[in-house]
Amino acid sequence: MIALPLVALLVGFFIIYPLSPEIGPSWSQYTAIAVVAGFDALVGALRSRLEHRFDEAVFISGFFANMVLAALLAYFGDRIGVDLYLAVVVALGIRIFTNLGRVRSLLITSRLESRRAGSGAV
Amino acid sequence: MAALWRGEKRWVVPLTAVCFVLGGLLAVQVRTQRMRGATQVGRQTSALGWLLTDARGQLEKQKEETERLRARVAEYEEEAASEKGLMGLMRDELRNGRIALGLLPVEGPGVELVLDDSTMRGSGEITAQDFFVIHNTDLLQVANELCAAEAEAVSLNGHRLVADSAITCSARLIKVDGVAVSPPFVFLAIGNKENLVSALNIRGGLLDQLRLLQFQVKLTPKDEVVVPAVAIGPVFEYARPVSKEEET
Repeated sequence: MIALPLVALLVGFFIIYPLSPEIGPSWSQYTAIAVVAGFDALVGALRSRLEHRFDEAVFISGFFANMVLAALLAYFGDRIGVDLYLAVVVALGIRIFTNLGRVRSLLITSRLESRRAGSGAV
Repeated sequence: MAALWRGEKRWVVPLTAVCFVLGGLLAVQVRTQRMRGATQVGRQTSALGWLLTDARGQLEKQKEETERLRARVAEYEEEAASEKGLMGLMRDELRNGRIALGLLPVEGPGVELVLDDSTMRGSGEITAQDFFVIHNTDLLQVANELCAAEAEAVSLNGHRLVADSAITCSARLIKVDGVAVSPPFVFLAIGNKENLVSALNIRGGLLDQLRLLQFQVKLTPKDEVVVPAVAIGPVFEYARPVSKEEET
């Protein structure tokens, strides 16, 4: 099941890539930050699923809202001459790493538990 | 398939949709980034290449022309030298003027200054390296310092610096009067050795700053320095002397 989203990611990439979309260099940093926000939402979803708190409404709204917000914040920062871009990248970066760490520990815990349950049965 | 919308597996559909969108966005981003790199470097380089070959051809022609004209001037001068008095005076005047214009190679005591990029390396981005390479503004500053210390003739990498010389930078290439030069940069200056050395070594001056950033700076006073003539003499297309009536 986990393969389906991954395949979708690759399919999306390879459908768009040959179309050679090109956006202006001044806008590309906003899409860049939107991509980072998207990854953050993705990792967040992974974590919440492992914690059995996943809700698709929260996930989808969070994904799009965060992407737009991150890009808007960076844009606003550029207008007023403050590198809010960096603030967004740092904040999202930290979140991605925290969530990944949580995912890792959850996976390890569940593996340990299943092993213990297995050995207990023998 | 309907099972995907409900129960344990209901996360699959939204995640798949979102991943699809993300994949597309990623493609846009990667593409744009690659295009940017390609256009900035690729197009510029080829255009510059053409410009360079063009300019080189012109330079060769102009050099030939200069040689021819110089030979003729030498002839005239020799004829003039045979006569005495006013002619001799005029010849001396002419000689001084030509030294000032850089039309004659000159020699005398002076200094040799060799500048090379820093041994320190910037990390990561290309822009970081900018702090550790010599820029045209550094060279301009040195030239200015030498002139301020009353150097009588200055050359940079074999190019005589005269009143209308320009040290420019385009596309990371430093040019002296349109001819590309690359590090190490060698300045030769004729003048009072002590004055030149102390002017360049002034505390907190440019060389001090460069040494601080581990640029390779070598300043040696010399008893005999030969500064070459300019490759192409000045051409006056627009400027003309003010006539007497207009002057008053």
